[in-house]
Amino acid sequence: MKSQINEINRNIYDIKNKDEYDFKIKKGLTPEIINEISNQKSDPDWMREFRLKALEVYNRLELPTWGPDLSELDMSEIATYVRPKTKLNNSWEDVPEDIKNTFDRLGIPEAEKASLAGVGAQYDSEVVYHSMKEDLIKQGVIYTDMETALRDYPDLVKEHFMKCVPVHDHKFVALHGAVWSGGSFVYVPKNVKVDIPLQSYFRLNSPESGQFEHTLIIVDEGASLHFIEGCSAPKYNKVNLHAGCVELYVKDNAYLRYSTIENWSKNMLNLNTKKAIVGKNAGMDWVSGSFGSKISMLYPMSILNGDGAKTEYTGISFAGAGQNLDNGFKVVHNAKNTSSVVNAKSISKNGGICTYRSLVRVNENAKNSKCTVSCESLMLDDISRSDTIPTNEIRTDEIEFSHEAKIGKISDKTIFYLMSRGLSEEDAKAMIVRGFAYPISKELPVEYAVEMNNLINLELEGSIG
Amino acid sequence: MGNLKLNETPIRTSRNFNINNIKLENIDIPKNISKFNNIKTTTNVQEVTANNCELTYGLGNVLIDQIKNNSNKNLKIVVDNKKNENTLVEFNFDENNNILIDNIEIIVNENCTGTIIVKYNTKSNIQCYHNGIIKIYAHKNSNVKIIVVNLLNTKSNNFISIENELEENAKVDYTIVDFGGENSITNYYSNLKGDSSENNINTIYLGKENQLFDINYIAELRGVKSNINMEVQGALNDNAIKHFKGTIDFKKGSKKSKGNENEFCFLLSDKAKSLGLPMLLCSEEDVEGNHASSAGKIGEKELFYIMSRGFSLKEAMKLMVKAKFNKILESIDSEELVNEIVYEIDKRLD
Repeated sequence: MKSQINEINRNIYDIKNKDEYDFKIKKGLTPEIINEISNQKSDPDWMREFRLKALEVYNRLELPTWGPDLSELDMSEIATYVRPKTKLNNSWEDVPEDIKNTFDRLGIPEAEKASLAGVGAQYDSEVVYHSMKEDLIKQGVIYTDMETALRDYPDLVKEHFMKCVPVHDHKFVALHGAVWSGGSFVYVPKNVKVDIPLQSYFRLNSPESGQFEHTLIIVDEGASLHFIEGCSAPKYNKVNLHAGCVELYVKDNAYLRYSTIENWSKNMLNLNTKKAIVGKNAGMDWVSGSFGSKISMLYPMSILNGDGAKTEYTGISFAGAGQNLDNGFKVVHNAKNTSSVVNAKSISKNGGICTYRSLVRVNENAKNSKCTVSCESLMLDDISRSDTIPTNEIRTDEIEFSHEAKIGKISDKTIFYLMSRGLSEEDAKAMIVRGFAYPISKELPVEYAVEMNNLINLELEGSIG
Repeated sequence: MGNLKLNETPIRTSRNFNINNIKLENIDIPKNISKFNNIKTTTNVQEVTANNCELTYGLGNVLIDQIKNNSNKNLKIVVDNKKNENTLVEFNFDENNNILIDNIEIIVNENCTGTIIVKYNTKSNIQCYHNGIIKIYAHKNSNVKIIVVNLLNTKSNNFISIENELEENAKVDYTIVDFGGENSITNYYSNLKGDSSENNINTIYLGKENQLFDINYIAELRGVKSNINMEVQGALNDNAIKHFKGTIDFKKGSKKSKGNENEFCFLLSDKAKSLGLPMLLCSEEDVEGNHASSAGKIGEKELFYIMSRGFSLKEAMKLMVKAKFNKILESIDSEELVNEIVYEIDKRLD
């Protein structure tokens, strides 16, 4: 008896447009190149200086001595800035046809009509489309590209930009600080509840290039927001790099849900950084589906700084042939009565490698806090690999902490049970894998849950022997 | 005085998590080592000139080289009895015997069974240094129970590297009682290369004052239907710190194998710290691996209940710790040894 579970069907994602652009910076990473990016983007002086300092930090820091092998990454072969041949548009009609067709295929304009309150679409290094519903604008919600935010809300950006994720955090954050371009800026004013999600979609089309978008979200006191991030790229033979940065500020009594469906191509190194600072009685939920990339190193982080702050992480990774997905979550309990719940799952298949790597840190001042971590890994064959590497640091006695992890294959007993209830073997296995992924898919808006179920496309064959 | 970097994990994680290894500063690594005479053994323990020092992991080169070049006690134990044979090795540290560099080799012959107790005691307040290896070769169908008891005082340094090699159907049950040492650093590696081999490790640790425990257990499962169980229970008082790194590694070919790891830490003080890294590594499909880890203080309801029966807070705490350790203590057949350990728990929690 052998189950075959297909890898993700990437037909839609792998359609590539001709590599056309308005400007592409030469490959490499030098102060001259950084200055040129600043010139192209008409940065204010402080941002130019910031980029150059970040480059110095990048040159000083070492590559990680742990995790997947990154030796194939050669920054002298990566173009860090590619401006598409269009400006920022507020109407899809104004977006050039080939780019619009790309987003059409990805279903973005349709989703915007059906279920979103606002959409941002980035193509290579710049945002090409941004819009938001009128009623949110009237309530003072700001949802725009980072460049516009830097120009129109300089104080707000300067106060928050790379303060949550400082450039010294690690080498690829420093790289991001030097070459960032595009991304979304969201500000939700006090007590404003954004009931319908906003979505930004990031598409990298240009070969041998990188995408370094910066997402900065501030949910002010008592406000709430659901933000969805999607990303994809067509496959090329040479390495592409994604080193984005997401900074989230969830103020007192506010709530933010940040959902990601990541489906980069299998030549992509996804070295992304996401961090949230969560205030008093505020809530921060992460929902993450990681399906693409050749190598992924992604560990969203919540810092629970306010009394009573809560966070929840629900994530799934699916690694197929040639993929090494090193994902996980980090949480720091830094105030009284804080709580965190982590629910991570992974599926490895066809030689794919899934690693769950995490940190739970409960500081001395986090009295009366609670933390529950659960991770489950499913191995679908004996040429794949699945590792669980969680670090738990407890510095106070006033804590309820528990962590559990399981690793294994689809249970023969469960298949047998379902088959005894009249299901075919194929349907039984499909049900088990969908059930395995259900805790994540149920957290997504229905359109995205359907997309995720399609991504985990099951094809089962074989016989009981 | 020297700085040591010890006990590397088999797979590294982020340097910022401070758990890939342990760095100790200003450790007095003795150069002039005299004989260690205060030792009590049963007759089946032979003293030899040297034992093999080659280890797959071990605590680190500096300490392993010290054993290779400067050991002052090399012992060999051969278990060749089909009835359960009891063996005792007891090292008693004192003013004249305060440095022990030992290498104990245990060979458990095919179909043989035995119980071996290795004890490290200090009855005085003198600072001691212990650096040792225990290496077990468990041959086919053998069954051995090893009890390692560290009752050194809290001024000493205790370094120990343990390695097991298990052949087909061999069973090794380890009980480790780790109470002593200002620094107590343990590296444990088990190679379950034989089909249906089984290794159970039951550990209790108890820390107080400024004690530091760095415990690094690694089990590699290679044989079909091999089985590893790690059970680690501990309590930390005052400013004590514990790092527990437990790795269960299912290697290719270890089909139908099982691995379980369970760690619990009682935090008896708001200054105590617990750091854990329970790793599951898997390159085989048809296996079952589980780990669970938890930490917290003693429940107020439980304490209240015990205190309502006339016990003081300290006595209630001792009772709860002993109750938690009881399951592991029950696996020790020697009543005398269990009583001694219980006495130490009471004394150390006073």
